[in-house]
Order: sequence, then structure tokens, then C-alpha cells
Amino acid sequence: MAAAAHESGHHTSLGVDNRKLLMWIFLASECLFFGTLISTYLVFKGQSLVGPFPGEILDIPLTSASTFVLLMSSLTMVLAVYGAQHGRLGLMRGMLLATILLGLTFLGFQVYEFRHFGHLGLNLGTNQFGATFYLMTGFHGTHVGVGVLYLISLLIGSMRRSGLGKERALWVDTAGLYWHFVDVVWIVIFTIVYLIPE
Amino acid sequence: MDHEASAGHGHEHPPTTIRQYIIIGVILAIITAVELWVSYAGLGAIEIPLLLIMSAVKFGIVAALFMHLKFEHKIMTRMFLIGIVLATALLLAVIALFWNDATDNRVLPDRSESSAPAH
Repeated sequence: MAAAAHESGHHTSLGVDNRKLLMWIFLASECLFFGTLISTYLVFKGQSLVGPFPGEILDIPLTSASTFVLLMSSLTMVLAVYGAQHGRLGLMRGMLLATILLGLTFLGFQVYEFRHFGHLGLNLGTNQFGATFYLMTGFHGTHVGVGVLYLISLLIGSMRRSGLGKERALWVDTAGLYWHFVDVVWIVIFTIVYLIPE
Repeated sequence: MDHEASAGHGHEHPPTTIRQYIIIGVILAIITAVELWVSYAGLGAIEIPLLLIMSAVKFGIVAALFMHLKFEHKIMTRMFLIGIVLATALLLAVIALFWNDATDNRVLPDRSESSAPAH
């Protein structure tokens, strides 16, 4: 009985699961975290005195491809949540795996971009653009990495106990909130850094 | 135990089908493609507002339909909005602070060279 109560979370007078509310509060605090990084980037935008400058090295088609990958990972994630909520364990596992692979692909794009910029002479201490760019996109990439680990743990959990289906749909739902948040943050970063000219 | 998933939400599942989710994903991909086109098209003064609007639309679609904010308890929406409003206020405050600062804090390369001892 106690274990069942633990698994289903504590029901509150609001009728809102406490775990889900906790995730939303965490995401609200993350808004401020990324808001600070984006503000810093905007403050120093166009302030670099030495190159490489953004217009010289940013590869917009390449980043558009990685943005597309992340958007599609949001689609697979929401389908994983759908599978979990409707008791379709196979769909949930397949979509979780697809989301993990797409997340790793996005990280691969980012590692390639960072290495490429490094070869072109842009490092963390090169100029204001380098400092703010690496800080902001690096923290975002870290969030994607944490999300991938989170999803891997859910996938392994569903394989081992075969119980991460309809009964524990909320765990997948909560992971989905985190993943979609990482996606919406990238939507903002992609526009501000890559699409809007200096 | 079967009722746990929905009971945990405090709401029924969002009334969205797999097909509808795929259509939403396609719409997001199309908006991204249009963004890319706009960034290369050179539309002048409307380019930046257009890009920001499309970015906001994508943000809204993902938050409302993929994060199910549209179907959730209002307190979730309020919680998330508090974060967004505070982050926007922070952004505006910091930008206003720095853009009104006439001091040139940048380190010029020639400035550091001139302070070095002459050879």
C-alpha cells in the first residue's frame, strides 16, 4: 500500500501530482537560468573587437539541420508519452529510443561545431562572442546530455521491470516536459544566435 | 493500478492523436524552413520581427501542445509564465543597463600594447 502510494505520488488538494508540479517549478527556474545566459549574449552581441566574428564562422544550414533533429526529437518524445499514457509499451520504448538517438545526433552536431570553431581560432577566451556563445550553447548541450541520460534510465527501467508502462506514465510525461523545455530553449537560441544578423 | 496514470495528472489525457502530433511536428519543421528562408531573403526592416514572431509561434506550439500546457491545470501555466515573465524582465533590465552605459569597457588590442614596455 505504501509502495503503491509512493509510486503514484501524493495527491494534493489541487488535484495536481506533486512530481509534475515540481518539474514545472524547476522549468520556471530554468527560464531564469537561460534568460541570464541569453541576456549576456545579447549584451555582448556585436561587441567583439577581434575575430572570428559570428558572420564569418556560423554555419546556418548545418545548425538548421541540428535544429530540425531536435524538433523531431520533441515529436518522438511526445509520442513516447502518448504510448505510456495509453498503455502501448512497445510504442513508448521505440519512441524513447528514437528520442535518445536524435538527442545524441544533436550533441554530435554540437561537438562537430565546437571543434570546427576551435580550429578556426574561436575559443572561450578569444572574444566576447566566443565567451558568451560557448557558455550559452555549452550549457544547453549539457542539458541535452542530461536529458539523454534521463531517457536512457527510463528506457532501461522499462526493460528491466516491464512496469514503466501505463502505471508509470507520469515518469515519462515528466521526462517529456524536461525534453520539450530543452527544445524550446534551443528555438530561442537558434533565432537569436544564428538567424538574426549581427 | 491502471487508473494511476490519469489520476496522477488530475486530468484526462490530452485529446490528441498520433496523426495530430505528426501534423504538429510537420508544421514545426515547415516554420523552421521558412525561418531559414527569411534569414537569407534579406527582407530588410521586417526580417527581425518576422523571425522573432515565428520563434514565438514555435515556442507556443511546443509548450501548448507537446508539453500539454493547454490541457493542464492552470497552476502549471501560471508557474511557467512566472518564469518566462521574470526571465524577460531580467533580459530587458540587463540590456537597458548595458546599452545606456557610455563607458567603453572593452579591452582594445592596441590599448594593451601601449601599456607594455617599449622594446
